[in-house]
Amino acid sequence: MAGIVYLTRLSGYFIGLQLRHISGIKPILEALPGCAFMAILVPAVRQGSLSEIVAMACLVILMWLTNNVVISTIVGMVVLFAGNVYLS
Amino acid sequence: MSPYKSALLGIRSSADYFISTFLFGVMFGIAASAVGLLQWQALLMSASSFTASGQFVALEFWQSPMPYGTIALSVALVSSRNILLGMAMTYHFDGHSLKRRILCLFLLNDPGVVTSYVMPDEVDRLGYVTGYGISLMISWLISTLLGLNVAQLFASFDLGSVSFAGPLVMATMMILFAKGSKSSPFPWFVSGITSLALFELGAANYLILLISVASGVIATILQTQRING
Repeated sequence: MAGIVYLTRLSGYFIGLQLRHISGIKPILEALPGCAFMAILVPAVRQGSLSEIVAMACLVILMWLTNNVVISTIVGMVVLFAGNVYLS
Repeated sequence: MSPYKSALLGIRSSADYFISTFLFGVMFGIAASAVGLLQWQALLMSASSFTASGQFVALEFWQSPMPYGTIALSVALVSSRNILLGMAMTYHFDGHSLKRRILCLFLLNDPGVVTSYVMPDEVDRLGYVTGYGISLMISWLISTLLGLNVAQLFASFDLGSVSFAGPLVMATMMILFAKGSKSSPFPWFVSGITSLALFELGAANYLILLISVASGVIATILQTQRING
């Protein structure tokens, strides 16, 4: 896992040195992480419990409105813990 | 500015993200403990990988028997943005030895790269990004350790949903990514819908990941062709 991550860091730099002038590949590389996040997130939410889905909804709305990672994450975690106690 | 002084500047500039990273690290420790990672395993993962998103993704698939291929594939896909970061730094690390560049690329990090662009020209980018990375690495390791120990306290309160911290953190990153990216979210939606359909069909995790990302890539290519006429 560490090797894979390091390889992505190294390869980007060295690919950049060699292939920087090629156009057309940049949009695909830009889309890849988002696609991977969605492919993992959607099934995780789909099989989540009620408290998990509520926590996710709170976090997403707050994050979208405030763009504040710290506050959104804290609220999401509090809702998750509280929901686990009161909604389960 | 010398690489050393630039590294110190990177450390000083990282205060905001030090806090965010600390928060993620605590949650990673809690989530890692919830899925059954031993303390040394979680700390080794944090020290060697130094990738919040990749580590949370790995936890999603952490089960027995271990799906090594799925974990490797998902970590590679989520970490693929590092390729872009590396490419973005192509000309900024000039003037340093190859050995130093290879060593410092281990600490390549998103906020360090982004904030380095607003630094004055005299700042050495390699030193700055490395200093930033050292600061975040320290935050990441201390908070992981703290999270692992806090998790034991949480376990006694039966907070079973703590493993969902991973998807929560991924969601914050996804939104940051979506709001900061200049590219269209259309391919991401295609990937999300595909993954949902495949999940409902009972497909294996690695197939969901591969086919969903492939569908997103196809959507990107089609979209690019359409824009270019």
